[in-house]
Amino acid sequence: MEQVAHQGRLQSSLERATAIVLLWAWIFLAISCPARADDQPLEYQVKAAFLLNFTKFVQWPPSVFANEHAPLTICILGEDPFGNTLNEMVKGEAVNGHELVIEKIAREPAPKSCEVLFVARTDKEVRRILGEAGPGVLTVGEGEKFLQDGGIIAFVIEDRRVRFDIAQSAAARAMLTISSRLMSVARSVQK
Amino acid sequence: MDTPQTLKLNMWKIGSRRAPWVVLALLSSIALADDPQSPPAGQSNPTALKQLSLEELSQIEVTTPSKEPTKVSQTPAAIYVLTGEDIRRSGATSIPEALRLVPGVEVARIDGSTWSIGIRGFGSDLTRSVLVLIDGRTVYTPLFAGTNWDVQNTNMDDIDRIEVIRGPGGTIWGPNAVNGVINIITKDAKDTRGMQVSAGGGNAEQGFLNFRYGGGNGNDFNYRVYGAGFTRSPEYHQDGRNFDDWREGQVGFRMDWNENRDAFTLQGDAYDEIAGKSVSATSYTPPYSQIIDGNALLSGENILGRWKRTFNEGNDIQLQVYYDRTDRRTPNYIEIRNTFDVDFLQRLRLPAREEVTWGLGARIDPVDDPVVVSGLQFDPHKRTDYLGTAFVQDQIGLVEQRLSLILGTKMLKTDFTSDVDFEPSARLLWTPNENQTIWAAFTHAIRTPSDSEENFYLLGYIGTTPNGTPYFARFNPNRSFAPEELNGYELGYRQVIGRKLYVDLTGFFNHYHDLFSEDIIGSTFLEASPEPVHFLLPADFGNGLLGYTKGVEVAPEYRPANFWRLRGSYSFLHMNIGRSPHSQDIGTAPSIVGSSPQHQATVQSAFDLTKRLQLDLTYRYVSALPAQKVPGYSTGDARFGWRLKRQVDLSFIGENLFQPWHVEYGGDPGPLVGIKRSVYAKLTWSR
Repeated sequence: MEQVAHQGRLQSSLERATAIVLLWAWIFLAISCPARADDQPLEYQVKAAFLLNFTKFVQWPPSVFANEHAPLTICILGEDPFGNTLNEMVKGEAVNGHELVIEKIAREPAPKSCEVLFVARTDKEVRRILGEAGPGVLTVGEGEKFLQDGGIIAFVIEDRRVRFDIAQSAAARAMLTISSRLMSVARSVQK
Repeated sequence: MDTPQTLKLNMWKIGSRRAPWVVLALLSSIALADDPQSPPAGQSNPTALKQLSLEELSQIEVTTPSKEPTKVSQTPAAIYVLTGEDIRRSGATSIPEALRLVPGVEVARIDGSTWSIGIRGFGSDLTRSVLVLIDGRTVYTPLFAGTNWDVQNTNMDDIDRIEVIRGPGGTIWGPNAVNGVINIITKDAKDTRGMQVSAGGGNAEQGFLNFRYGGGNGNDFNYRVYGAGFTRSPEYHQDGRNFDDWREGQVGFRMDWNENRDAFTLQGDAYDEIAGKSVSATSYTPPYSQIIDGNALLSGENILGRWKRTFNEGNDIQLQVYYDRTDRRTPNYIEIRNTFDVDFLQRLRLPAREEVTWGLGARIDPVDDPVVVSGLQFDPHKRTDYLGTAFVQDQIGLVEQRLSLILGTKMLKTDFTSDVDFEPSARLLWTPNENQTIWAAFTHAIRTPSDSEENFYLLGYIGTTPNGTPYFARFNPNRSFAPEELNGYELGYRQVIGRKLYVDLTGFFNHYHDLFSEDIIGSTFLEASPEPVHFLLPADFGNGLLGYTKGVEVAPEYRPANFWRLRGSYSFLHMNIGRSPHSQDIGTAPSIVGSSPQHQATVQSAFDLTKRLQLDLTYRYVSALPAQKVPGYSTGDARFGWRLKRQVDLSFIGENLFQPWHVEYGGDPGPLVGIKRSVYAKLTWSR
């Protein structure tokens, strides 16, 4: 009887030892695997996808394009929070024959050089830059205050999701037509 | 990388035993996952994102509720975060029910309004040794060093998250955080703007109505007000004593200001409720022992203010003040307590990767507990309890972003202890790469004595001798009751495998001494006063128990696709608690050991059928509680959510679906109360 019990104990301690060895082996294997390169935060990937979508639901006056095949330029003013995401997304994309192009700029854009102007949250001179953006530029920024400063579309985070507000009057001043579909998805539309 | 496969198979095994619908859901979703038409699995793949519609983009959650996603996975403690979304999708109507989703937490419903909640053992209706906080306010009564769950209600939609730390959290938190901390955090007022009304009802949740309105100046000042009320039916009673019906009404508010460097919060709640309870009362005169069913009248208010100034990253100070009034009138005791509390905390970032946190806290709470029934008495019934604490913690980065050491200690003094007690801890955190965390901890924690040991007389009826003389046991207060002590050793491991699988593994060994016991302190004698003449067994509340607990908790999370999330948990617990050589304990030890489940397992599936339809399924297994005469059980919950319009949500929720009723815990006098199968519908309108 005792022998059987002893054998049983031996077997269970063997099993336990095997389990511990396997566990450690797994941990060490996992440690030796290199970590995945850090990706752009999901928030800005989603915002990039929105930005791309905006170009499809906004109509620019034909005069802003030099010709039918002129590119549609998305300018990122100041700090670029998108990393490589936006570049990857617009690759091969075109809207009504206008190829999408990303341009990073350090100061306010030259007239007719940008169709979309994205202003990162960190920029302090937002109000002045928006005032000088002129017609034909879809200004996109972050936070509710962006619309008060004269912007057209502002990203907001609500309930942990990316939403956006639209200032219709500012869009009209910039001679842009925003489709009703885009307005129906917006969190709020300011008349 | 066959780990996801293995996991799927294990879940399959658990699911197939009793829950064919879990299997069905698994099958259908595996089929869906292979469908090229379904949304792309890796939601953060840029090219996949641009295929999504505007509406789909608006539905992607981009931040974790804690706002610092790395924080949880890199905490050197067994932490689990339940998000507001998790709670909403569980259909839980109360905080204890929501806690069922947290691995390693033992939740057992005793009756309609009473729960036993334990972490790593020691579950009881008193929930000793677990510290519970709501927005920084300790909801813990020094009456019995526990939490009255029946008055911890709120509008469930306002909860941002519940953070649960299993294991001792004594250094920063408080004196009662021996086996765990439950930290309930409500949403910032800026996240609850607009109007929301939800209402519903069913067989157990007979009716409920929640209202919330939030507004602000659109910038740095936001507020909300809320009201909530419910009425619940009694649970299932084999003897027909349907005593545990429950009605509650509650109102509250929260205001948040955010200036540049300063953040102010002011919030408050008031509640009033009637909860049916059953208690036993003992008297020296016949019938000696009787069961009283009656209503508890419970009301209370609290108000809390918090100011935080951030100097720069890692440097801030915080000051918090609150007042809490509890007015608790149950059929066998009354507690009227006014708590005043002030806490200060500072974080300092020093050169050489060092971060110091220190704090001071003081609490004073005058209390009155007048006698209600014979056999149970607080003496003196008017007292003032107090608590003073100080803590310091130093986080030292040994290797940049890879290895850090956290050393700390708390010092505390209460009116129940003669000395200053120390609660030191040491934690080591190793992150070999971004995807992995290994941590180890040693903690010394104490549970301070409470009124129910130091100021409490309890009479118990044992029986009647053949010649008709009654026989009682009487516990006298022990004014020198010592703190219960714990030395805890923990080891944890977390890994993110690919983008879809997350594994959290923790093992612990807790060594306890000076645990509460009910000791016989002499031999039986004949006592003439109070009349009539009776036999008395003299007894005392002592510190006679010691022993250890050990266990393992595994909590994997698997996201096969962005519309499907699977979570599981398994907890194993072994308790070995016994009397010390000099203790004459009369049965507390086997009761403690036999009141916590050795095995617990859960599987949860959150599945978005379409953009408008959600299906949530939960399966859980809890092994037997011999001391409570509760057999092991399996049961399951289901929720079907339907977004009718952008502003209207309809959901149908079924809880404890596997059987008409099942028992989870003793605790009430008389036969065990059966927890009913509950079905209800809920309509939410928000604008």
